[in-house]
Amino acid sequence: MNEIIIARNLSKTLGSVKAINAVSLDVKEGDFLVIQGSSGSGKTTLLSLLSGLDKADAGEIKFGGEDITSMNEDDLALFRRKNVGIVFQSYNLIPTLNVLENIALPLFPEGSSKEKMFERAKAAAESVGLSHRLNHYPNELSGGEQQRVGLARALINNPKVIFADEPTGNLDTETGQKMMNLFKSLNKQKGLTIVMVTHDDGLAKEADRLIKIKDGVVTNE
Amino acid sequence: MIGYALKELRKRKRKYLLNIMVIGLVVVLLITLNSLGVAFKEASRLPFENIHSSIIIQRNGNVPENTSGAVTPCSLAPIKGEFILQIGKIEGVKEVSYGLFLWVFDKDSFKRVLGMNWNDDRGKRIGSELIEGSLPQSDEDALVERAYAQQHGLKLNQKMRLSGTDFTVSGIVETTGKDILSSDLYVNLNSAQSLAYSSKNLQETEKFAKNDVNIIFVDSDQTRVKDVTGKLKTLLNPPTSSAGKTPTGQITGAYNIYTPESFESQISSLFLISDKLILVLSLVVLVGALLVIIKSMSHTLLERRKEFGIMKAVGFRSRDIRREITIETILQAIIGYCIGVALSLVAIFALAKTTVSIAIPWEMSPYPHFLTSNPNLIAPVQTYLFPIKFEAMYSVEVLIAILVLSLLTVSVLARYINGLKAMEVLRYE
Repeated sequence: MNEIIIARNLSKTLGSVKAINAVSLDVKEGDFLVIQGSSGSGKTTLLSLLSGLDKADAGEIKFGGEDITSMNEDDLALFRRKNVGIVFQSYNLIPTLNVLENIALPLFPEGSSKEKMFERAKAAAESVGLSHRLNHYPNELSGGEQQRVGLARALINNPKVIFADEPTGNLDTETGQKMMNLFKSLNKQKGLTIVMVTHDDGLAKEADRLIKIKDGVVTNE
Repeated sequence: MIGYALKELRKRKRKYLLNIMVIGLVVVLLITLNSLGVAFKEASRLPFENIHSSIIIQRNGNVPENTSGAVTPCSLAPIKGEFILQIGKIEGVKEVSYGLFLWVFDKDSFKRVLGMNWNDDRGKRIGSELIEGSLPQSDEDALVERAYAQQHGLKLNQKMRLSGTDFTVSGIVETTGKDILSSDLYVNLNSAQSLAYSSKNLQETEKFAKNDVNIIFVDSDQTRVKDVTGKLKTLLNPPTSSAGKTPTGQITGAYNIYTPESFESQISSLFLISDKLILVLSLVVLVGALLVIIKSMSHTLLERRKEFGIMKAVGFRSRDIRREITIETILQAIIGYCIGVALSLVAIFALAKTTVSIAIPWEMSPYPHFLTSNPNLIAPVQTYLFPIKFEAMYSVEVLIAILVLSLLTVSVLARYINGLKAMEVLRYE
C-alpha cells in the first residue's frame, strides 16, 4: 500500500506548551490507525495537523504527495473539503440545519444544485443508517444519531481519509461500539483510510495500527 | 446558499428582526423625507404655476408721498412700454402679456385696479372667470371681483367713481384665490394708464409715461426659461448701487425677474426645509443605521462563531463564509427595504390627504402692506392639497444606498471572518 500521509518532524506549541514535539509518522492507504494517549498528550493536536485543520510550527506533511504545510488558510479549507472528512467528539452540527442539510454542508460552497446535494446527502445518510431522520434537527437526535450525522457529513465528499477525534467519547459503551463497528466496516468494506484518536484501550485494540503519544512525543508503534 | 441564508433568517428571526426594522425605518425616513422635500418645493411652485406664465417681471419703486389718488405699489413701479416690444423679440419668448396694477385711494375707499389687454393670454384668463355680464366694451367699463362687489353692494351696469373718473360695472368675475395677482377691479389697460398718467401723486413719485405698464408676463419655452431670464437681465440694465431702497430692503429701480425657480427659493424658506437639511438628515440616518447594523451584526457573528468554525472545518473558505454573510445581509436589506417602502407608501398616502397653506411673499402681494385693518390680506395665504407623492426613482436610489450600506457592513465584518481559524474556534468552544 502507498503512503497517503507522510509527516516529518512535526512540532506545534500551544501557548507555552509544546503540544507536539518532532513527531514523524506515515499513514498508508486503507490503514485504520488509532492514536492513543491520555488527556493533554497532544493526540488531538496531532490529528488536527494531519487533517489540515491546524498548521504546524515546524515540520512537513505530505498528503497524497502534496505539501499541506505550505498552504494558506483558504487553500487548506479547500484541501479539507476535497480530501478529508473529520468527525468530532462533540459532533459539531449546526443547530439551525436539519440532518440532511448538516450532512450536505460541505457541498454548499460548491454551488451545485440543491437536488444533487441532497441526493448525495441522502446516500451518505443511508450508509450510516439515518435515512429515517433526515428532517430532524440536531436537538431532536440522540448522541449516537448526532455522531452518525457527523460521520455522514465526513463521508459526503468521498474523502481519502477520515479523521475522527474521540468519536465515541460522548457516547455510552453500546452506542460507542456500534459507532466503532461503523468505522471498521467503512475501513474493511470500502477501504477507507481512518485515523482515529482515542484514550479508550478497548477501542484502540480494534485498530490495525496503534500509535501511543505522550507529552507530544510518539512513544511506540 | 440562498436557501441556507433564508433558513438562517427564519431560524434566528428574533436576532435579525432588529436589523430588518432598522433598515425599514431608514427606508421610511429617507423616502418620506425626500418626498416631503419634493412636495414642499412642488407646493411652493403651485401659486406661480397658477399664473400660467414662465417669467414675471416687476420693478422696485419708491413709496408714494401720501395715500391719495392712483399710485403704483412700490414693488410694481412703472416699466417703460418700449421694453415690451424688445422682450417679445428675445429668442425663446412665445408670448408677452402685460398689465398695469394700481392702488387707488379715494376719499372713502381703497381699490385695487388692474388694467388689462383682453386679447392677450392674461386678459383671456381673467375673462374666462366672468360669471355675470360682459368684458369691458369701452374705456369707461370695469369688471368687478365678486367678493368686492358683494362687500360694496355693486351690481351690473351700476356706476362707480374711480379717482375722479366714472366707470360702469360691465361684468362680475371670480378670481380670488385663483391668481396671485387678483384685483378688485379690472379695466382696459388704456383706462388704467390714463388714471396713472393723470395722478399727481404718482407722477411725483415715479415718472409715468402714457404707455407704461408695471407688470409683464413672459411665456417662454420651458427648456429656455433660464436662457430667456439671462437675456432679460441684460436687457433690463441693473440700477447703480447708489439708488435707494424699498421698505423691504430692495434696491429702488431694480427689476425683479421671477421664475418658478426664483419663486421657489424665495418661498421654500418658509417651510424650513431645504435640500441641505434633507441631505444632512439623510446622512445622519444612514450613518446611524450603519452603526446600529454593524453592532447588531457583530453581535450575531460572535454568537455564530462556532458555526463558522464548523463551516471552515468542513471546507468553507473565508470567501465562502463572506458570501454567505453577504447573502444573509442582502436578504435582510431587501426585506427591510420592502417593509420600509410599504410603510412609506402608507405615510405618503396619509400626507397626501392633508393641505398646505402658502403665504405669498409681500413683494408679490397685491395688497398694501400698510393697511393693517386686514393683515391676513397683506400676505395672502393660498391653500392646496399637499402635493406629496412616492418618488419611484428616489426609492431605487434608496435601495442602492441600503445595499451599499449592507455591503459596507459585510466588508467591516470581513476582517473578523477572515481571522477565524477553525481549530482555534473548535478547540475553545
